[in-house]
Amino acid sequence: MNFLTKYLSWIAGGLALALALTFALPSGKVRGFDASGFGTLPILEGGRVKPLDSVARNSLLVIHSRQGFRHAGHNVGPDEWLLDVLFRPQVADQQPIFVIDDLDVLGLIGAKQTTARNYFSFSELGPHLDEIQKQAATAQPIAPQKRTRFQSSVINLFERVFLYYKLRNTLQLAGSPGLAWELQSLGSKDANLRHQDLVQLAHFRILPPTAGAPPEAWQSVGQALTTANMGGPLHPGLTPLAKMNAAYLSNDPAGFNQALADMNGLVNTLKPDALGHSGREVVFNRSQPFFVGMIIFLASFMAACISWVYKPEVLRPTAYALLFSGAIVHTLGLAARIILQGRPPVTNLYSSAVFVGWGVVILGLLVEKMYRKGFGTAMASIFGFASLIVAQHLGEAGDTMEMMRAVLDSNFWLATHVVTITIGYSGTFLAGAIAIAYGVRKHIVAVQDIETDRVLADMAYGIICFALFFSFVGTVLGGIWADQSWGRFWGWDPKENGALLIVLWNAIILHARWAGYVRERGTMVMAIFGNVITALSWFGVNMLGVGLHSYGFMDQAFWALTGFCASQLLLMAVTYAPPRFWLPRNDSHA
Amino acid sequence: MIKPLALQTWKFLKSIQLTIVLLALLMALVVLCTLAQVEMGTAGAVNAYMRSFIVWRQFAALPFPIPVFPGAALVGLLLTINLTGKTLELKRTWAKSGLWLIHAGLVVLFAGEFVAGMLQVDTNMSIEVGQTVNYVQSYKNMELAVIDVTDPTWDEVYSIPDTELSRGGAIPIPGTPLTMNVKKYFANAELSNLPAGQTSMATAGVGPSVLVVEQPTVTADGEMNQASAFVEPTAAGRSYGVWLASAAIGAPQSFTHEGHTYLLTMRLRRLYLPYAFTLKQFRHDVYPGTDIPKNFSSLVQVVNPSQKESREVLIYMNQPLRYEGKTFYQASFGKNDTLSVLSVVENPGWLLPYVSCVLVSIGLLVHFAIVLRRSLKRRQDQKEA
Repeated sequence: MNFLTKYLSWIAGGLALALALTFALPSGKVRGFDASGFGTLPILEGGRVKPLDSVARNSLLVIHSRQGFRHAGHNVGPDEWLLDVLFRPQVADQQPIFVIDDLDVLGLIGAKQTTARNYFSFSELGPHLDEIQKQAATAQPIAPQKRTRFQSSVINLFERVFLYYKLRNTLQLAGSPGLAWELQSLGSKDANLRHQDLVQLAHFRILPPTAGAPPEAWQSVGQALTTANMGGPLHPGLTPLAKMNAAYLSNDPAGFNQALADMNGLVNTLKPDALGHSGREVVFNRSQPFFVGMIIFLASFMAACISWVYKPEVLRPTAYALLFSGAIVHTLGLAARIILQGRPPVTNLYSSAVFVGWGVVILGLLVEKMYRKGFGTAMASIFGFASLIVAQHLGEAGDTMEMMRAVLDSNFWLATHVVTITIGYSGTFLAGAIAIAYGVRKHIVAVQDIETDRVLADMAYGIICFALFFSFVGTVLGGIWADQSWGRFWGWDPKENGALLIVLWNAIILHARWAGYVRERGTMVMAIFGNVITALSWFGVNMLGVGLHSYGFMDQAFWALTGFCASQLLLMAVTYAPPRFWLPRNDSHA
Repeated sequence: MIKPLALQTWKFLKSIQLTIVLLALLMALVVLCTLAQVEMGTAGAVNAYMRSFIVWRQFAALPFPIPVFPGAALVGLLLTINLTGKTLELKRTWAKSGLWLIHAGLVVLFAGEFVAGMLQVDTNMSIEVGQTVNYVQSYKNMELAVIDVTDPTWDEVYSIPDTELSRGGAIPIPGTPLTMNVKKYFANAELSNLPAGQTSMATAGVGPSVLVVEQPTVTADGEMNQASAFVEPTAAGRSYGVWLASAAIGAPQSFTHEGHTYLLTMRLRRLYLPYAFTLKQFRHDVYPGTDIPKNFSSLVQVVNPSQKESREVLIYMNQPLRYEGKTFYQASFGKNDTLSVLSVVENPGWLLPYVSCVLVSIGLLVHFAIVLRRSLKRRQDQKEA
């Protein structure tokens, strides 16, 4: 017992890291087939070379909102699912993976919503495809922010169905006898038409550029078949692919694994780096560092909360150790993304959420080291957790390592402007979080503790100064980038305005404090409002759909954002109210 | 009597209360301007809230607009005075050197935005591959161009800006015997076929068969005002009829006076340059297998006879050409990637934000270093005590 209390923090931290490690381990074979080996095959999609595993995970996230599902008594992983879609669509078509939540869309396909019936298979949607397509085509021309809920949902469903449809017609035409048959019937009557369909529908290009071709000239199966059909050379990758296809259909794991090895050998000769790069990305995909980090942060937060009422001398270091482990996992994930992408950490809305969370966690670790009250740990862990949840939702839109649009394609400015401004967000959020802790604590604790209040106020003040510095420098750097690429330092673009609002608000807090208009409590209330302003300028401006920064458009987060802002306003009121204001006054004349 | 009042005012102007109020007003303006962009477009909202001293609002019940809010120009001006006052008040000691730098940098930043608001000229240049262009054109402002095309190798262009057209009346065109009588000017109008039985003001050109209906002017991004005017060219006491010139009419109309042929056309205002650009190549690269743009670039031949200069320049994303006080940026493209649009900005104060950034950053670092040193020293003293 004594040993446990002494080393609990080390044990907890170690266990958390061990948990992270188990995620990184490769899974076994599926029915003898080397599915994860198949997932490591590099392909070209969305402008970059990535493993099939990434295609599988991102497609499943888009279609199903999760990276795996349970069907017919066993768990189907992303690689196994993709194998079925590509090579055995007749099996994949029966799996209920399409999530439909919108009642009107459910009405459209004639299903009554019951608790268990939100998932549909492709074959169940089959009879309604024409109607879905028709409705989506009507809604498509309407600007995204003007669509009704039904229109957005039906377009969303159509896009998911179309993605699935493209996948099942990428390596072979669904319903045809397979790729081997396609190779045998080269030159036959309808071959050309089928090849054109394959070219049109291909979701990715799996055949690496042949010797002598330009380095980016990856080919889809349809393109290679077209070349061969017109008398050109047969791409050497088609044969192993056809063998894999046939072996998978006839349930011959040994043959499949052999053909996969042949394909790997071919990729290695044609594109020597591609296999190593995609292998690293697969390890990153499997590890899911931000998901694991989320779990560890939650554990840390719970330990920190319990520590205020039970055994603080043991649980507070434990919470800190967990936060530290979570920070290690989070940092490794961030570093892996930087290496895989060859870009600074923030490239889109998803990665900004990951980075803001990371910034808060690191700041929290430092603050805790300085003040040792448990608040730094608790607030950093809950904010780390929340930001990773936000990131997870943002990541459901597809590939989070998408290519950068031309105007953003500047590693220098991404590394300076975007990173500094995002650290400014982190600082403002952490100050707000500490202010919330201050406000809530005031009402909960039995004895008012002026010392702790003062420490919290000091923390918040220091962090606001820090946040003002980074948001100001980040905003000005953004202006300079704008001057470099658009010709004006400042254009009052919504995102620029959002950044400016954060700067102005932090400046107002500090000036009000310096002039003595607000004291401890007032500063804290203002710091919480900083959360509202930061959230609005981070996500809110994207919902306006105007300006040069509106590439990060999103529509579904509106209510989440409104809820967050309302909760912050409530917390401001709570913080402003004097402690125990609900108790009858002692001096009342009863 | 005057002196105490002035002192009072000065005290108020440099007070920190005013700082906070002004910062709060600025926040409110930024929020309003951002929201207004959805309806008014960026340029419209910025002009209404940011580049104005007073925000005016037209209420349906009143015949005239009334002031509803101070504009950002006013707030910015007061903030600059406030900042300057505060800065002058700071003790000139090393301990305050960081604050000095910060405030001086902010004053420069505001000055930069003022200069941009007052003096910045935004135009653009559209060039097709192989074409040579020696002018930039406005985004919104129009002009009535009268072009003497008699000499097949040389066009002599005379133009009347829309501001002058809107005043109406007789406008003599210098360098020619012509005088233009502006009968009616529409800042924005819709043109359609004239229904039978109605008559037009126009008597010559395409005008007599066109119905012109005045429209409210638009400011939103991507929308264009179709400026139109009924004009009557006269020379040596002779009228050449009333013509309809409109931005909505594509083909130019012409008349001849004493052997000179003049084209009449309403177009975006042009500013001729003493040099010319020839577009040699335009590239629009995408990532393989996608439509995601990877790069846009224009290879331009710059020919400047006055400098005896002729050289090639590659203008691409984040890499503009700064030339003769103007900066040319790759902005847009069209016509199946054979047309390149460069946005052209002339802002004499473009360096000010850079200066400000350096001043404020150094100031913040110095100030935080001083504060940190002080607090470390205090801790040390506490330990020793």
